[in-house]
Amino acid sequence: MLKAIHDTAVVKTGGITLRSLGKRYGSAVAVDDVSLEVLPGEFVSLLGPSGSGKTTTLMMIAGFTVPDSGQILLDGKDITRLPSHRRELGVIFQNYALFPHMTVAENVAYPLRMRRMGKTAVENSVKRVLEQVQLGALAARYPHQLSGGQQQRVAIGRALVFDPPVLLLDEPLGALDKKLRQHLRTEIKALHKDVGKTMIYVTHDQEEALAMSDRVAVMHEGRIRQASSPRDIYRRPAELFVASFVGEANLVPVKLKGGVAYSSDGRRLEATRWDGDDMEAMLCIRPEHVRLDLGDVGMASGPQGTVVDSTYVGDATVIECETDSGLRLTSKVLNQSGDQIPTIGSSCRVRWAATDATILTN
Amino acid sequence: MAGGLISPSVNGAPEPVRAPALGGPTGWAWLLLPGGVYLTVLFVVPLAGLLVISLGMPDWTLTHYLRIGDSPVYAAVLRTTLEISLAVTTLAFVLGYPIAYALTTGGPTLRTFLLIAVVLPYFTSVLARTFAWIVLLGRGGIVNEILLQLGLISQPITMLYNRFGVIIGMTHIIMPLMILPMATVMSGIDQKLLRAARANGASPLAAFLTVFLPLSLPGVIAGVLLVFIYCLGFYITPALLGGLADLTITMAISTQVVDQLNWNFGSALSVVLLVTVLVILWIGSRLFPIQQLLGFSDGIGRDAAARQMGARWLMHVGSAANALDRWLPSFGGRGIPILAVILATLLLLPVLIVAYLSFSSSPYFVFPVPGYSLRNYQAYASSASWIEATFTSIRVALLAAGMATVLGAMLALGLSRGRIRGRGAMVALVLSPIIMPTIVVAVATYFLLVQVGLQGTEFGLALGHAVHAIPFVVVIVVANLRDLNPACERAARSLGAGPLATFRTILAPLIMPALIVAAFFAFLTSFDDVIYVLFLGIGTVNTLPMRMWEGIKQDVNPIISAVATLQTALAAIVIIVGALLGRRKNT
Repeated sequence: MLKAIHDTAVVKTGGITLRSLGKRYGSAVAVDDVSLEVLPGEFVSLLGPSGSGKTTTLMMIAGFTVPDSGQILLDGKDITRLPSHRRELGVIFQNYALFPHMTVAENVAYPLRMRRMGKTAVENSVKRVLEQVQLGALAARYPHQLSGGQQQRVAIGRALVFDPPVLLLDEPLGALDKKLRQHLRTEIKALHKDVGKTMIYVTHDQEEALAMSDRVAVMHEGRIRQASSPRDIYRRPAELFVASFVGEANLVPVKLKGGVAYSSDGRRLEATRWDGDDMEAMLCIRPEHVRLDLGDVGMASGPQGTVVDSTYVGDATVIECETDSGLRLTSKVLNQSGDQIPTIGSSCRVRWAATDATILTN
Repeated sequence: MAGGLISPSVNGAPEPVRAPALGGPTGWAWLLLPGGVYLTVLFVVPLAGLLVISLGMPDWTLTHYLRIGDSPVYAAVLRTTLEISLAVTTLAFVLGYPIAYALTTGGPTLRTFLLIAVVLPYFTSVLARTFAWIVLLGRGGIVNEILLQLGLISQPITMLYNRFGVIIGMTHIIMPLMILPMATVMSGIDQKLLRAARANGASPLAAFLTVFLPLSLPGVIAGVLLVFIYCLGFYITPALLGGLADLTITMAISTQVVDQLNWNFGSALSVVLLVTVLVILWIGSRLFPIQQLLGFSDGIGRDAAARQMGARWLMHVGSAANALDRWLPSFGGRGIPILAVILATLLLLPVLIVAYLSFSSSPYFVFPVPGYSLRNYQAYASSASWIEATFTSIRVALLAAGMATVLGAMLALGLSRGRIRGRGAMVALVLSPIIMPTIVVAVATYFLLVQVGLQGTEFGLALGHAVHAIPFVVVIVVANLRDLNPACERAARSLGAGPLATFRTILAPLIMPALIVAAFFAFLTSFDDVIYVLFLGIGTVNTLPMRMWEGIKQDVNPIISAVATLQTALAAIVIIVGALLGRRKNT
C-alpha cells in the first residue's frame, strides 16, 4: 500500500560502514568493538535482547550518541562527529515521536521547512508523500486523533519526505498489537523494495528480523555475535547465544574426538564434521529437525527414548522425549491429516540428519 | 505564600483526570457538604459583604468608586501596582525559564540541586525572605559592604526603600511560583521529540524554538498568569522594601482599613483589585485551563487559537535560525545548565546568608561575621515575648491545620468520587482562596468576624487560616487519590469487605501519607502567615510572624535572623517529611 516514491535510483547511495565502534557508560560497556558493512539498498536488522547495545549503535549512527571510539562512514565519508541534523539520515522512532502540536501535514513538512525549502515546493512534496502513505485525507488532523497504524505512516512519510539515502528504524512496531505488526511488517518490506533505500532496523523480535531483513546482525552484551542472512542465522548459528536467542534449539553437550561428536555416555551422534579434536562443544538441533520413530523402534538408528510430554499448538505438536541416557529433546511435528499423535509413555527412537546438527564450540 | 500553588507532590505531566463517568452523584458527594459550607461562610459571604460595604450599605452609593477614579493619587497607585507587577513578571519569566528548562532536562545531580534551590525558598516564609533582602540591600547591608570593600563604589548606594529594592525582592520571592508550573509542563514533553526534530534537520536552536518552546507555552502562560496575579495582591514585600513613592493598591487598602478606618473606601479598593484579578483569570482560562496544573482538568484544550498563532510564528523563527546554524558556534551544550546553576544559587543565597549571619557573635550585621556564637538564638529563647509569640503561632497553626486537613480531605474525596454536576464550579471555589489576593480575603474576613465578635481571637484567626490552607490539602490529597489503583478497592469489595470496611482497610491507609504531608503544609501556611494576623489579630493576637513584622518595622533586630533561620529549617523539615512519605508510597 506504500507506493514507490522514486523510480529505481540510478546511482546507489546509502552505504554505512561501522568501524570498531565503542561506547561505555561509566564502567558499563554499552557497545564494544562493533564493525559492520551495510551495502547501499540493503535491509539490515540489529537483533538482540534489551541492553545488548542495538539501540545505542543505532543512536550513534543517527548522531544522538557520540561513540568513545571507532568511526561511522556514510558512502565512504566520515560522519562520526557530524551533528545529527546534518547527517541527512531518516529516523523512525519508537512510538514515532510525532510533534503533538503540529498537524499531519505540518509534521511531514517539518524536515523541508528546516531545509528552508520554498513554500510551494514544500506543499507539493508534502501532498505527494501523504498520497503515497495514503494519508491525504487526514492532512489536517493532529497526531492524537490518529490510530497507531496511521501514526506509523506519518512517521514514515516524515522520514521519507526529504529523500534520505538511509532510514534508521528504532523498534517501529514495538507499540502495536500483533495483527497490526504483521501487517505493517509486510508494508515496510514492500516500502524497502519500492524506494530502494538502505534500512537499518532495530528490533528484539527475532521473527520480525528474520522475515524482513537481507541480513541480521545478532547483538549480545555490546558485540555483534553474528551477521549473516536470516537463513544462516537460523540454520548455522555461529555461537551458543545466537542459537538459543533465535528460535528454539535443542542444545546437547558433546565431546569432539577426531571431528566426530560423542555424547556424554560415549555414543556417537550425527553432526556436521568439525576440525577440532578433544574438546567440549554443544550440538544445536532445531526441534523441527528432530524426528521421532514410533512403534517398532528396533531397526532405526539414534538414541532410544520415551515420550514424556506432548503439547498440541495448532499447526504442530511439540513432543518432549527423554532418551535412555537422560537427554531431554524437543521435537516439533507438523500436524498433517492422518498422522498419529504419539501418546505419553510410548517409546521412540530419536534421530536427525547430520547436516541439521550444528556444532558450537564457544 | 508559604505553601504556594503547586506543591512538589503534584508535579509530573498534567494528565487529565478521567472524565466523570455517566450516572448520578454517588454517596461520596455528601463529603463536599461540610467543606462547601465552611468555604461559603468564610470565603464567599465575606467577599460578597465586601461588595456590599463598598457600595455604602445601607445608604447605597457609588461615591467610593468614583473617588478612586477621580483622585490622581489612586490613579498613580494603580499605575505603580501595574508597573511593578509587569516588571516583576517579566523578570521572573526571563530568569525562571532557563531554571525550569534545566530542572526538567538536566542530569540527576543538577535536577536535585535545582529542585532544592526552588522548593526550599518556596516554603520558607515570605517574611523571612523579605528580611533577608533588607539585610542584603540596606545602606550598611551586605551588598554595599562587599562593593565598598572591593572598591567598586566609594559610598553606599541606595537599593532599599525604592523601586529597585521592591522589584528585586518581589522577583526573588515570586520565582518558584513562575518556575514550578513551567517545569510541570516541561517535564511532560517527550525528549524524543527533540531528537526527532534533530533527525529531521533542525539544529539544536531550531529544535528548541519549533518543538520545545511551543510545547512549553501552556506552562509559560500559567506561570505568567499566577505570578502577575500574585504580584497585584502582594503586600508584605512592597510594604517592607518599597519607598514612599511605591505605594501599591494593597498598601492603600491596608491604610484605609487599619489606619483610616474607612471601611467603605477600603472595600471599594479591594473590590477593584478582586475584579482585576478575576478578569485576568478569565482571560487566562481562555488560553489555558489553569486547573489542569493542579490536576483537576476534565478535558484538554489543545487547540486554542492563540497558541497556534504562537507556534506558527516560532516555526518561522526556527526555520530562520536553522539557516544561521552553519555560521553560529555550537549552541546549548553547557551554557544553559551553568546559567541555571548560577541563577538557582542566587535564589538560595539570601536565606543562606541570613542563616550564616544568625550565628554571628556580633550584635550587628557585619560580613563576614567576626566569630560564631549562638547569642541570637539565646536572645530568642530567653525573650518572653518571642517565646509567647511562638506558642501562640503553634496553637493557631495546630487549630487551623486540624480544621483544614479534615475539611480538605473530605472535599478531596467528594471531588474525586462524588460525580456531582457542577464539579468545575466546586473546584473553582475550593482553589480560589490561594488565587485571590490574600489581603482582600483577609480584609473581608475581618469585616465578617467583627459582626460576630471573633476579631482578635486565636480561634477567629485559625478560621481564616484554614480557608487559606484547605486548597493545599485538597490539591495534595486529590493527586494522591488519582494515583490510587481503583482495582485495590474493587478487590477488597470482591473479597467481602463492605463500603466502610473498604474505606478503613484500604483507602484510609493508602491516603494516610498524603494526609500527613497535607497537614504539615497546612500547618506551615498558618505558621508563616502575617497578612491574616495583621487584620484578624487587631493587635491582640501576637503570632511569631507578627512579632517579626513589628521587629522589622522598628529596627533590624538580629534576633529576627535567628527566627528566620528557624523558619527555613522548619520548611526544610516539612519538605523532607513530604519527600520521605512520597518515596515510601512509591516503593
